[in-house]
Amino acid sequence: MMNQGVNAQTVAAADPNSLESRYAINASQGQAQSYLPSAPGSEAASRTVHKVEGYPSQDGVPANASYQHVQQPEPHTQNVQDGSYVAPLSSSSSTGTASAPQDYNSYTSYSNTTDPYSAYSGYYNGYQQQTNNQYSQQQPNPSYSQPVEAYQNTGAAYQPNSSFQNTGSYAGTASYSTTYYNPGNYQTSGGYPSSGYNNQPTAWNNGSYANYTSYQYPNYTSDTSSAYSSVSAPATYQQQYKHWPEYYSQTEVTCAPGTEHLSAASNSNHGSSLPSVSGGYPTPTNQIQPQSLPPPPPLPPPSLTSTWRPETSSSELPSMQPGGAASGAPNNYWNQPAPSFQTHLAAPTQPIYQNSLDSKTSYENFQELKTAPQGLNSQYPVVHQVSQNYQSTLPTVPSFDARRVSKLQIPTNPRIASNAALGIAKTEKDSYAANSAPKPAYISVSVQKPNDKMSPNNAADPMLKPTMLPKSLRGYVERAFGRYKDDDAKRAACEAYMKDIITEARADGTLYTRDWDSEPLFTVPDSLSISKANIQTPTHASIPNYNKCPVRRSKSRWEPLAEEKMLEKPVSASNEIGKYGSWDRKTFSGYSATKDNSLSSFRFSGSQQRTPSKSAQRPMKRQRIVNGTGLTNNDDDASSDSDKEQSLTAYYSGAMALANNPEEKKRRESRSKRFDRGQGHRPDINYFKPKNAGPANLYTRRASALMLSKSFDDSANQAVEDIDWDALTVKGTCQEIEKRFLRLTSAPDPSTVRPEDVLEKALLMVQNSEKNYLYKCDQLKSIRQDITVQRIRNQLTVKVYETHARLAMEVGDLAEYNQCQSQLQILYSEGIEGCLMEFAAYNLLCVILHSNNKKDLLTSMSRLTPEAKEEDAVKHALAVRAAVTSGNYVTFFRLYKSAPNLNTCLMDLYVEKMRYKAAVCMSKSYRPTVPISYIAQILGFSNAADGNGEQELSGLDECLEWLKAHGASLITDNTGEMQLDAKASSSTLYMPEPEDAVAHGDSSLAVNDFLARTS
Amino acid sequence: MAYLSMGESHRRITDYLNRFADAINYQDGDSLARLFSVSSDSPFLLSLADALNVFQDANRLIKQSEKFSQFGEVVAPFFRSLQSYRLGNLVDAYGAFEKASNAFIQEFRNWESGWALEALYVIAYEIRVLAERADRELASNGKSPEKLKGAGSFLMKVFGVLAGKGPKRVGALYVTCQLFKIYFKLGTVNLCRSVIRSIETARIFDFEEFPTRDKVTYMYYTGRLEVLNENFPAADQKLSYALTHCCLSKEANIRMILKYLIPVKLSIGILPKKQLLENYDLVEYNNIVEALKRGDLRLLRSALQENEDQFLRSGVYLVLEKLELQVYQRLLKKIYIIQKQKDPSKAHQVKLEVIVKALKWLEIEMDLDEVECIVAILIYKNLMKGYFAHKSKVVVLSKQDPFPKLNGKPVAS
Repeated sequence: MMNQGVNAQTVAAADPNSLESRYAINASQGQAQSYLPSAPGSEAASRTVHKVEGYPSQDGVPANASYQHVQQPEPHTQNVQDGSYVAPLSSSSSTGTASAPQDYNSYTSYSNTTDPYSAYSGYYNGYQQQTNNQYSQQQPNPSYSQPVEAYQNTGAAYQPNSSFQNTGSYAGTASYSTTYYNPGNYQTSGGYPSSGYNNQPTAWNNGSYANYTSYQYPNYTSDTSSAYSSVSAPATYQQQYKHWPEYYSQTEVTCAPGTEHLSAASNSNHGSSLPSVSGGYPTPTNQIQPQSLPPPPPLPPPSLTSTWRPETSSSELPSMQPGGAASGAPNNYWNQPAPSFQTHLAAPTQPIYQNSLDSKTSYENFQELKTAPQGLNSQYPVVHQVSQNYQSTLPTVPSFDARRVSKLQIPTNPRIASNAALGIAKTEKDSYAANSAPKPAYISVSVQKPNDKMSPNNAADPMLKPTMLPKSLRGYVERAFGRYKDDDAKRAACEAYMKDIITEARADGTLYTRDWDSEPLFTVPDSLSISKANIQTPTHASIPNYNKCPVRRSKSRWEPLAEEKMLEKPVSASNEIGKYGSWDRKTFSGYSATKDNSLSSFRFSGSQQRTPSKSAQRPMKRQRIVNGTGLTNNDDDASSDSDKEQSLTAYYSGAMALANNPEEKKRRESRSKRFDRGQGHRPDINYFKPKNAGPANLYTRRASALMLSKSFDDSANQAVEDIDWDALTVKGTCQEIEKRFLRLTSAPDPSTVRPEDVLEKALLMVQNSEKNYLYKCDQLKSIRQDITVQRIRNQLTVKVYETHARLAMEVGDLAEYNQCQSQLQILYSEGIEGCLMEFAAYNLLCVILHSNNKKDLLTSMSRLTPEAKEEDAVKHALAVRAAVTSGNYVTFFRLYKSAPNLNTCLMDLYVEKMRYKAAVCMSKSYRPTVPISYIAQILGFSNAADGNGEQELSGLDECLEWLKAHGASLITDNTGEMQLDAKASSSTLYMPEPEDAVAHGDSSLAVNDFLARTS
Repeated sequence: MAYLSMGESHRRITDYLNRFADAINYQDGDSLARLFSVSSDSPFLLSLADALNVFQDANRLIKQSEKFSQFGEVVAPFFRSLQSYRLGNLVDAYGAFEKASNAFIQEFRNWESGWALEALYVIAYEIRVLAERADRELASNGKSPEKLKGAGSFLMKVFGVLAGKGPKRVGALYVTCQLFKIYFKLGTVNLCRSVIRSIETARIFDFEEFPTRDKVTYMYYTGRLEVLNENFPAADQKLSYALTHCCLSKEANIRMILKYLIPVKLSIGILPKKQLLENYDLVEYNNIVEALKRGDLRLLRSALQENEDQFLRSGVYLVLEKLELQVYQRLLKKIYIIQKQKDPSKAHQVKLEVIVKALKWLEIEMDLDEVECIVAILIYKNLMKGYFAHKSKVVVLSKQDPFPKLNGKPVAS
């Protein structure tokens, strides 16, 4: 009963999806056309390919689906589901290529509009290569390819970004899937290394599943169900699937958000800095997915295009999708889990199952997610298996269990199944590793936290899992690996051996019944021992996972906030990396991707037995990345800022791109080149941290890197104090004059740092630039950064800060001004020459007018030397102070007009207050009236001194406006002159809320305004 | 340093240890306090310091006997501190003394009664004084002076030990005052707030139960804080309390209180007698008082100028500067009186030109607009009753009490 109901629901749910997908398709097509005039041809091509390929694959998939049916009690419902989903999926997978290019196109187009994208695209390019490699290799493995395909779908849906680019070039779609595959499982993590990553975690943290659902779910359902069902044909798989359902229902949802979250998460996180960008982002994803889905509803592309129309792309689509998602998503979301449940488990238990498993699921999810990230390559597979096993075991919860187990075995062909599962796992991992260079970085970061919390986890563990079976098994595996943690080869062998054992066990059906504890290798696979092992061997990925999971589990559902905290860092880190990666195309493609990937993929293509060696290989790439991460991450604060930073940069870049495309492009190119160069340097940077320098053994090095990053991340930053800053001071080699500010989250790379002479040029460039303040501010900040990292403290430093302070004052950016001012005070006190007096005056004014701190005022006044008091600027500032303290508005506005330097700018910010005070005072002390002209003159509305009639008039009008806005009551006397009715006004004056108030206190920095000015 | 034999040194050290043990055993707070006062330069402690420098292994002595070893954690660092102090190494002296104090605080925490409060006072005092001296030493060596800050946080800890219920609470105010001294010296007066809150919100303990000495100090500092905030009535109340409770023999203290109380009183319209200023050597206020009496703006300005540095440092400059309005008021009142003598019927109408001319006589050049503004402000702040007629440029004064006295109320802001 339940099942049926659920099924019905699912079916219903399917509709929304299809609808959505259609939209998406349309949109995407429209986009493609609109954006890429030249693209149409390619599009068409891709289309055709799409169809052609799609069908075959479909055929293939259906078989799987049917297989499933047999297995599962409710074939019909399933069929429906499967059919609808599978078809799309298959097509998508096959289409992979086709759709990818399209998306890609759209991306490129995006890049033009918005910078961030371009960066991504670059990144993707790198990606493509990877894909290719894998691709070719994968083909050899037919058996793999299928599962892969299934996954592909998922992958396609999720990863659009990453996989796209190259897809076009690839012949073999199947291999493609591999890449995707990982993403599918790991979802976003794989696919989106750069941006997706961050988001994912965030999403996760947020714990708002609803949100997730809404976005991604549509895609997901299709992916999950179809992909899985088809794939899961193998019995084992299904088994896994069971776990997965939950996993998916929750995890995926989460993940989905991850992918899509780019927009959502980033937006929320970044405080809307990325509006346009984020909007654009989701679109692509959706579009892509739709494509995969749509096949069934044959929608002629042209018609779609026409209906949907082009330009929408970024702006419209986002809006649409949410809507669609909202309607369809929830349903899907709920439905999905249900179907899966039913199929796998007897429906009735659903709730229970969920509850009981909830924690576990989350745990698993975490595991999956986390494991991937962890980036311990060699262990990866192992871990995975473990988790799988674990999952199957989980069911041990009484009633549930039995059912589960039975079902598990029903699937038949345990061996095959297990193999397949394993293989998949492997593939996933491999591809995963290969795919996402950025990921590894992420991984390393993520590891840290878990470790920290290990002990609590352990404590919690027993409680959470009354059934120790999985743990025991895992412990077993871990132990096995723990022995060979130092030896890759042995490790690999061990891995293979391990796999055999597990497979065997599964085949025998003793996986859950066997007493792993008493199994030869191990005696006490206690959580404690594990934790110990973990501590000792941070390299051991599986352990961290393990530990991590419990924590997660306990918190994932109910304490999203806590989670967030945990994940935050990794997120940001990944973010950073992603960005980084995106920019250095060559780095990734050439370096890690091509080489390592090809290697790993090679192995991959080989038989399963080879996998171990493969895994051994992985460390290399990861290692490198991890190192990179360690470097990037050593500063906690910085990394946490990176989120914001990213959004900011994205925003800036977007805005800039809008403003001047060609220039932007050039700059970007140059930057990417710079990063290329940087690649060479990176290894060097390592030696700054002695820990990293260790033996050449990659493995240990990775371990040390892990440790490093860990310690940086959460060991109370003790390390920071021990850093030898002299050793860390870089000498810049970058010759670019222009450089965008990007908050450092790692040791600075000399190749991106400009030496002093270049900085001087840069300063000149900024000073002579005609561009707006935001641009200059950005440039100056980057100059300041370069100066800081090179520890340059001389007149140039002073000049830079002075320039920035003045610019900031001119636009009223007090925050930036204060930063500069405080730096300047230090610099001056070190005896470096500069416009000391000028800035002393500014400082005084700032204290008087904006902080109103008597103590500060007294100290800064007492600090003034007698000579300083004779200085015009300082004198002026002191006079202003006196005028303000006595409320002498006449003097104030006279001083306002005669202000030297930029004193006016600082006074500007106080004018409104002063005028209001004056008006109140006048309305109380004057009777019966005061002529407006007099007020206008006294309160600085007009330049009366000029005697220019016209100006006076405008000043008068302005004054009138102002008085009216402040509630003054005005009358006209018999001579026709406007007068302020003092008595009436004395009770009606008020301070209006500034209409253009913005959160950051300065409307001139408002986004819209800024965009308007730049365009 | 005269030659000191080993035996004599040994005798002196054991003597100290014996006294220390006795003071604790008999719960003799005063004796104990004397044993801690490093900076008092008492002959007893100085000779002990010499002995320690000769007899290097004092720790062995402490450990030797069961009687002394229990105080080892306090006495051993204290000996080191005394040694360093004698050798003029104040940074080390402070460090060791803080260690000894810390150990003592741990003990003190466990004692039910407050018999050792006197000793604690000495420790709190020594901590501050040693920290100040250590900072001076650090600064002269070009290092960043940070000991006083450390002393502040240490005393916060001591405050925490005392601030609870029970007999020890009496000591809290002393520590608070030491903290005030540190914070005012460091310029981190905002840190006072938390301590003040905990003193003033504790209802279970009446403020009057604290020792007078501490009450006066406390009121003096909180009064100064109110001066900074320009909260004159509160400042007046606190400083007056301090003044009335301050021991008459402590002239320096009275002078310190008056230094702030006089500006406060001036700003609420109460002028001191000249005799008072002279008695307590506060002549810098003479001219200011005189200016207020005469309505002599020039005199006020010159007096402020003359003592600017001093006033800025003590933090009363801004307060005194605000007296300008009262001087204007006085000036206008004088004009009004003169007019009244000439022609009572038109006395309440003061022409702006007259005021400008009067200011000119004081060698202060102000044009009509500026004076008009001043007049407007005077009326607005209720220093003058009446209104200003812009058209005719005339101040029309109220016929009743056109220049209201402040009578202890501050000028409206």
